[in-house]
Amino acid sequence: MKRILIALILATAAFGPITTSCRAAEETKSEKRQMIRLGARLWPVYCAQCHNARPGSEFAPYQWDQIMMHMRALPNMPTQDARAILEYLKDGRD
Amino acid sequence: MVGEILGRVLIVAALILVAPISSWSADSDSASALREIKKEIRELAADRERAQEKIDRLEKRVEQLESENAQIKATNVQLKTETVQTTEQVKTLSQAVELGPSPEGMAKAFHEYLGSHSFTLTGSAGMDFVADQQSAALNSISHQTQNSFFLDFEPMLLYRPNDWMLFEGVLSASFGSTGTGTDLSSAIFYLFPNDYVSIVGGLFDLPFGDWYEDQSPMWVNKFVSAPLPYAVEAVVPSSELGIELRNGMQWGAVGQDLDYTVYLGQGPGYSANVPGAASTSPVGIASKQTNGKSFGGRFRVYPIPLDSNLGRLEVGVSSYDGKWLNGKWLTSWGADFAYMLGSLQARGEWVESYRQMPAPFKQDNRQGWYVQLGYYLNQVNLPGVPDDINNYVHRLEPLIRYSGVNQHFVDTDDIVATTGVEQGGLQTGLIPDFGLSNSPALYAPHSREVAFGLDYWIAPSIVWQNELDLELPRAGGTFINGAGMTSPVGSVPNDKAFLSQFTIGF
Repeated sequence: MKRILIALILATAAFGPITTSCRAAEETKSEKRQMIRLGARLWPVYCAQCHNARPGSEFAPYQWDQIMMHMRALPNMPTQDARAILEYLKDGRD
Repeated sequence: MVGEILGRVLIVAALILVAPISSWSADSDSASALREIKKEIRELAADRERAQEKIDRLEKRVEQLESENAQIKATNVQLKTETVQTTEQVKTLSQAVELGPSPEGMAKAFHEYLGSHSFTLTGSAGMDFVADQQSAALNSISHQTQNSFFLDFEPMLLYRPNDWMLFEGVLSASFGSTGTGTDLSSAIFYLFPNDYVSIVGGLFDLPFGDWYEDQSPMWVNKFVSAPLPYAVEAVVPSSELGIELRNGMQWGAVGQDLDYTVYLGQGPGYSANVPGAASTSPVGIASKQTNGKSFGGRFRVYPIPLDSNLGRLEVGVSSYDGKWLNGKWLTSWGADFAYMLGSLQARGEWVESYRQMPAPFKQDNRQGWYVQLGYYLNQVNLPGVPDDINNYVHRLEPLIRYSGVNQHFVDTDDIVATTGVEQGGLQTGLIPDFGLSNSPALYAPHSREVAFGLDYWIAPSIVWQNELDLELPRAGGTFINGAGMTSPVGSVPNDKAFLSQFTIGF
């Protein structure tokens, strides 16, 4: 059991240090538009893998921040795909 | 004033020119006159000096006024310019006001107003009506034929203190035959230290197959009931108390992903030390069954690229192993798939577990499976039917599911006592009080069930679900009570049931 715990800790360390600001990086508008376009492609497919895809208008942007953290972890969605869908959902409130 | 002074000067000058001629004629008068003239001249000079000073002051005043005038003119020009700019700004602001605030601006303002710590309440709620017809009653077990309403409320609280930490808590409250029961379904800390891994700790749904984690919420499950392998006497436990390491990544084109989850847990627990007993995992901390821990993992791959337009396929394998009683092992594994193409959705799982038992029992072996298929009619237009009718048809989703379990024993104590809540947080969606297996076959050894469903979608997370369950005519298995007494093989009646549920995901 101890070996398993040590292996888990080492694996975590090997994946990289804890960073608190990596997701707060500034994004240019063109990069954001690209993310929104990618999110628009992924949203109907990835969400519908388990349930009906829910439109961005159902929740406030700050709520999508929380919900997408939950939805990134639960289906183990690739991080960049989760961010793209998040941007699309927030943009979908226009 | 200046002219008057000049006049006086000219007169004095003329007098000076004339004066010598007069003086020759009268010296005394002349001297007097000369003094007068000199006096006049001094006065005139003084006057002139004062006048000059006044002229200087006036000139300075004129220069000052001219300077002030220039400043006023410059100020006036500046004011005109600013007025034009202000007008433009007012015009721009008016247009902005008419357009309303941008979502980004609104979000920023709202976020700043709320603070960096934020809460969201989501979850689901559902109300059921179940008409269950059992073909026969069993001796010593209450007759379960019933027509009953059920209610379940499962709020999920999300708390996000920053962009790398999330807490999730899910409560379950349901109204059953013993009154209202509540349960802590899950309480989970999510940590996202970087883009490559997520750390999850707490009381979580078992990451085994797709059912517990992804398909069990009421509004997500296409059917009212759970498939037989994940019902009350599930083949594998429903939850664990421990820690997970998990993440997903893209290995090819967009859509070609893989993901993994590995975890350590408290270990499985059961309602009784007899075969077929319901799982109560994770075991209580102070339980005598905590002499072992559990570990498990799940791996899933998505082979189809998004741009191929061939749909999305998921293929996964899972395992879960742990010690449950005095070092006795539970070992389990499973395989699952899910496929979606447009309006078509299909999924299925195979699950198998082996549990070492104390004497006099040898082993508690369980197998289970389900395959389900659904098709949205949102693209179907019935010919010759008015649009209003077709609009209703577009909201329908017919479904079919075949599920079964090979569970060689069922504990009669569980049959009499169990509800989902009372069994320690078995989150398999809404678990009606009837039926251990969530099936109309109340007593589930070797049960096979076909479920027909028809969902009417009011919104993406609001649905009215209808389900007809038919128990296939295959009796078998053995009942066992808590003391280990078994009943004759083949004493299982066949059932049929109709379930209707209105549920919302919020």
